[in-house]
Amino acid sequence: MKIRDFDALNDIRETGLNKLLRGGPRIGVGMGTCGIGNGAQDVYEAIKTAMDTKGVEARIVPVGCFGYCAAEPLVNVYIPGGPLVILAHVIPDDAPYIVEEIVAGRIPVRKALCRIDAWDHLTGHVTYGHGFQEIPHWDEIPFFRGQKKIVLRNCGLINPEDIEEYIAVGGYFALCNAFQKPSRDEVIDEVQKSKLRGRGGAGYPAGMKWALLQKAVADRKYIICNADEGDPGAYMNRNEIESDPHMLLEGMLIGAYATGAAEGIVYLRAEYPLAVERLEKAAAAAREAGLLGSDILGTPFAFDFRLVEGAGAFVCGEETAMIASLEGRAGRPRPRPPFPAESGLWGKPTNINNVETWCNIPVIIACGGSSFAEIGTSNSTGTKVFSLVGKIKNTGLVEMPLGSALKDIVYGIGEGSPTGKRIKAVQTGGPSGGCIPAMHFDTPVDYESLGTLGAIMGSGGMVVMDEDNCMVDVARYFLEFTHSESCGKCVPCRMGLDESVRLLEKICNGDAEASDVEKLEELMPMIRSMSLCGLGQTAPNPVVTTLRYFRDEYEEHIRTRRCRAGVCEKLYMSPCENSCPLNMRIPAYLQLLKEDRIEEAAEIVWLDNPLPASTGRICQHPCENRCRRADEDAPVNMREVHRYIADSAFAGDLIVRVRERLLENKIPPTGRRAAVVGSGPAGLTAAFYLTMLGHDVTVFEEREEAGGMLRYALPEYRLPKRILNEEIGVLEHIGVRFMYRQSLGAGLALDSLTGEYDAVFLATGTWNETQGGITGENAPDVWHAIAFLEQVARSHRPVIGGNVVVIGGGNAAIDSARTAMRVGAKVTVAYRRERSDMPAITEEIEAAEMEGAEFVFLASPQRVVINEKGRVTGIELRRTRLGDFDASGRRTPVSTAEFFTLPCDAVIMAVGEKPDPDPLRQAGIHVRDNQTAAVHPNTGETNLRGVYAGGDLVSGASNVSSAMATGKAAAHAIDRSLTGKDNMDLVLKTFSFRNIVPAEPEGGDRNVSPVLGVGERRDSFDEVVLGFDAETALQESRRCLRCDVKEQCADREGALKEPVS
Amino acid sequence: MTQADEAPLSEEQLSEVIARYPDRTGDVLSILERLQEMHPLNYLPKETLIRVAEAKRLALSNVFSVVTFYSFFNLCPQGRHTVTVCRGTACHTRGSNLLMNGLRAEIGGVWADGQSSYTTPDHELSVHTVACFGQCAMAPVVAVDHEIYGRMSEMKLRQRVRQLVRKESNDEDS
Amino acid sequence: MNEQLRLTIDDREITAQANQTILEVARENEIPIPTLCFLEGLSGAGSCRLCLVEVRGVPRFLSSCVTRVSEGMNVTTDSPKLASYRRMILELLLAERNHICAFCVSSGNCELQDLAQELGVTHVNYPYRFPSYDVDASHERFVYDPNRCVMCTRCARACGEVEGAHTWDVMGRGVHSFMITDLNQAWGDSSTCTSCGKCVQACPTGALAEKGRSTGEMKRSAGFLSKLSSMRNCGR
Repeated sequence: MKIRDFDALNDIRETGLNKLLRGGPRIGVGMGTCGIGNGAQDVYEAIKTAMDTKGVEARIVPVGCFGYCAAEPLVNVYIPGGPLVILAHVIPDDAPYIVEEIVAGRIPVRKALCRIDAWDHLTGHVTYGHGFQEIPHWDEIPFFRGQKKIVLRNCGLINPEDIEEYIAVGGYFALCNAFQKPSRDEVIDEVQKSKLRGRGGAGYPAGMKWALLQKAVADRKYIICNADEGDPGAYMNRNEIESDPHMLLEGMLIGAYATGAAEGIVYLRAEYPLAVERLEKAAAAAREAGLLGSDILGTPFAFDFRLVEGAGAFVCGEETAMIASLEGRAGRPRPRPPFPAESGLWGKPTNINNVETWCNIPVIIACGGSSFAEIGTSNSTGTKVFSLVGKIKNTGLVEMPLGSALKDIVYGIGEGSPTGKRIKAVQTGGPSGGCIPAMHFDTPVDYESLGTLGAIMGSGGMVVMDEDNCMVDVARYFLEFTHSESCGKCVPCRMGLDESVRLLEKICNGDAEASDVEKLEELMPMIRSMSLCGLGQTAPNPVVTTLRYFRDEYEEHIRTRRCRAGVCEKLYMSPCENSCPLNMRIPAYLQLLKEDRIEEAAEIVWLDNPLPASTGRICQHPCENRCRRADEDAPVNMREVHRYIADSAFAGDLIVRVRERLLENKIPPTGRRAAVVGSGPAGLTAAFYLTMLGHDVTVFEEREEAGGMLRYALPEYRLPKRILNEEIGVLEHIGVRFMYRQSLGAGLALDSLTGEYDAVFLATGTWNETQGGITGENAPDVWHAIAFLEQVARSHRPVIGGNVVVIGGGNAAIDSARTAMRVGAKVTVAYRRERSDMPAITEEIEAAEMEGAEFVFLASPQRVVINEKGRVTGIELRRTRLGDFDASGRRTPVSTAEFFTLPCDAVIMAVGEKPDPDPLRQAGIHVRDNQTAAVHPNTGETNLRGVYAGGDLVSGASNVSSAMATGKAAAHAIDRSLTGKDNMDLVLKTFSFRNIVPAEPEGGDRNVSPVLGVGERRDSFDEVVLGFDAETALQESRRCLRCDVKEQCADREGALKEPVS
Repeated sequence: MTQADEAPLSEEQLSEVIARYPDRTGDVLSILERLQEMHPLNYLPKETLIRVAEAKRLALSNVFSVVTFYSFFNLCPQGRHTVTVCRGTACHTRGSNLLMNGLRAEIGGVWADGQSSYTTPDHELSVHTVACFGQCAMAPVVAVDHEIYGRMSEMKLRQRVRQLVRKESNDEDS
Repeated sequence: MNEQLRLTIDDREITAQANQTILEVARENEIPIPTLCFLEGLSGAGSCRLCLVEVRGVPRFLSSCVTRVSEGMNVTTDSPKLASYRRMILELLLAERNHICAFCVSSGNCELQDLAQELGVTHVNYPYRFPSYDVDASHERFVYDPNRCVMCTRCARACGEVEGAHTWDVMGRGVHSFMITDLNQAWGDSSTCTSCGKCVQACPTGALAEKGRSTGEMKRSAGFLSKLSSMRNCGR
């Protein structure tokens, strides 16, 4: 039936509104490609079946995508009178429940994500209804808060295959509106007033392009919609067409009317079959309704369009290439000028705009160009749809006013990392864009600001990267992409990218030299300036931005031949080994254990980590964060296995054989002497390796026993001292000498050490407590965490009692809390941020809670309340709220006017530790502003020749394995400088074992160590975590997927052969 | 090349598709897409190219230029099963290269330089890559016989491929 | 149509006709601009990027072989930056295939060789790709050595635009682009080649040559192409 005039359109609007709002309950299932990929089709069928079995009278329709990909499949339910309710994560099994509830006139609240009381479609308005206040309104949940849906105005709410529903929300009324304007110029005027810029990437003003086309004189003009969304990581155009194809048609109709084009082409990627199908259906419906073809809406205006499927060439997004493609040739661009507005398709004036540009048009005509221009910033008006993907919790399509800060998108809408890992960068604009580092997340997202950072808006892809992403690899990835998509016509792009890719490959393979980066930097500006089209001109952006912001990663790949993120395959053994600060050969000891070769397993463990029993208990196990077994079920419990290996060595005479093996592997004496100051983890590690490397080593310790923080800060229940003593015994056995009560600056002078020894390693740690800066901090019952822990470690006696408040959220705070409870105190931990922000190890926080600690969050200390006798009676806290996101992606606590007091008898301040800088300064060592020692990043050498430093003294309060790693690295550097040789590999030895990747995941579920019952922990310093037995350790070792085995062939039956090498 | 062994499309099929796009030479892309989809082995035999060139009055070299420019077109017979690995950015950052390594290890194929696909010699399996499926929220994504699988791991993909092949051989046995 | 206009090239005031390209005007006035893919009588490809020039007020370099002059245009044909970029382009071309002059029929008559000398390319800073393509000697009179090809497409344009045979075209893309005849078959088996030899005359290097020539013997003259081409255009 043809729509001849405005009244007829209005009639259809009523029919459409009936479908949306009247005639009983209505269920809409989000059936975009992404929804279907997540099982929406099955959900649709299941709900249908459930309705049939129940004999329910309700309507079920497919709708488009509401954008929240992370919550798919999404289903919306509307019961007349109430709000529209969006259900999330719906699975087919939910169908009977959903239908039952609807039958009973209720909303299936169990699955509800949010509700919509009324919706502004901008071209129209729909009021659903009220009720179900317990369900949050859509704009109250983080993912939608701050979004402004213009392009996505109808997506997920209407049936994209029903033209009547599009008309119901005001569709095609903007076209009517355009027809009713006195002249076509006024349509273009509105677009110019809106200051709408092209959404495809370059941001050229759409109104200006239209005006050019309108002025061009020709017998035929074309308009083209660029829907060749080839930018990997961007999929908004697919969703826009799948969810609301008529808005694109209407936008193009208005554009054709205004510019006088009679034919339109949509160039759509063949990889989007559903978008093709829906657009074809929409066009057929529009043709039938007289909205395409001749005499549109009863006017003399004629326009039709056809759809051409692109066949997979990214360069066709370039307008002259797209024209070549439409003319039946390979999509190679040609130089401009002439611009398509002058000479385009078949030599005729042509205008090409991106999908999203066209989709904004109906709103601009309906609401007026000036009101559109009020959204966004003055130079970047309106909104932009971004696809927020990668390492982000809330993936999905996000429509934000231009000028929104990047951090609000990443941390606000996206809610940061799904795994708690540090977010490193966001890549915007795909292969033509750049990587924006976290420190620039304050940047407003608009065309100019992104340009300043070296990135571009592009099509709106936003790929979030975390610490597991290697930025050199990212640059290589994008360059490989543009290289493989380069048409090959012009030399700078064809060969410039080829050379660049090969240079980047060299870097990623560890074969590069510093001059290769120089070559890369020389090629980039040439490619940018000399290439024929946008593909080549923007291809350098990912390289240029990663070089600008992540140069250290390039340097690391070249200098140390390691890839910190564990991505560049040739530069690491396995993800676990790579993420271990000590680079423990984890797959090796797991495999040796599997092969019943525990003696060698123990040897390799000791060679890689001289404190395997201690670290087996207290390491923060970064290895687990990268374990690929986590993709199958849960990471391998690697730490517990090396603890088991070390414990079994000490339990019998295995340790004797391990010690023998270590001695056998020692380099013959070099005659060189080294002094180590401080016997914490860093000092012990340096001493171990220096000794193994053949040097004569003496350790100077301030206290009466060795171990540093391991002995004096770590509570007995986490690390029994007898274990530590055993480990130190091994060091003594291989020849390390210890001198106690030797304090640097007080009796022990650095220059006498440098006179007597060939090298000195300083690792005196962070024993100074940071002051909280509050009144009453120096009262007798106010403890600093480290001092408190040391006191208890020495005496095991209650030095504290009654009610104790611990201030802080790190490991020292939790250790203090659990220790205080063991000496009889009742403990409350107060922390200024939220629980999820606490830096302490999660298992420790959980254990503290189990043991009875209370937590108060969002509270910062103000004042210790002291009575007239000078005793502590409480602590006054100030309530904080979470403000803006900081560079780490955590919200900064902001003080409020609310104060409260926790009554208590003692306070433990655990707000951080610092080194004591005075002895360093006296010795002439450079000290940084944060009181740590300044050292060369590669060698650990200080400004004094032959004097090295490491551990917390350099890094500030850190963790055991990182501290040990600095000791290991310094020993390596000292040895190289003393001998001129590289003997570390000899010390570390090579082990051989079977290299077979399991065909299926083996070993079953992750094993966790048994623990002491909570009841038994009170008043006791007995070790809480009991460790694996032999059977469990073996079982856990079997779970390893052997990521270290990189080359292996499989025959077609799936039986695996060992590689021939 | 094994092209000659494989039967080209029938003249009726060819004329029908060509007739669907009567006007412009520009429709050559659409014609070639339809013809490839119609071929049971999902490729464009030489005879088809010649026929299209004649019908649209295009130079042979022009048609060959087109079919080798766009990654959609295949000039060799494809496998009965297809695994397509997305090499989009989101998939890459979530480890799609591990999936490719896994596939290589599983089927023992070697990709030639500049090739975006590989077919096993027995034509059982073709492995393709795609620039992006637009399914980035489910990364890494793989399509097995055109069905999308999200959040794929190397182990799961290898199991799936083994299943395909095993199922195939079982079918042949029975 | 042919109105006169004034522009500045390298600080020289010049009068030109409106439909001329910057390159044409520069050459008429004996201002040298290096070119490789350009050949008089053929359409402009703008692909070698050697002829790029600076035009005041335009943020990008423009290809002088296809950009028309306009009133008041201020063109700079050479600058340290352009010179260094042009040298890099030549280095990249030399690294792309196997341009070993000592064994080439066109040595001494090779535009790539001449350009390298003119622009002072003394060494190649990038690793060579060293592809090894088979030489196609199937044609009775000519031989095609892809190892010498620079992908300027002058052969394809001469064949398509002047001879009207369209035997030559480009297959593949990116660095895998490759000149082919018909369906990538042996040249001698081509059903469309008229053996006119225009492609051979158009080739700037030793990629296309007459059979039987040895090192340095292949001389060519492509001047007739522009005459042919203008004769064709007159007929229209």
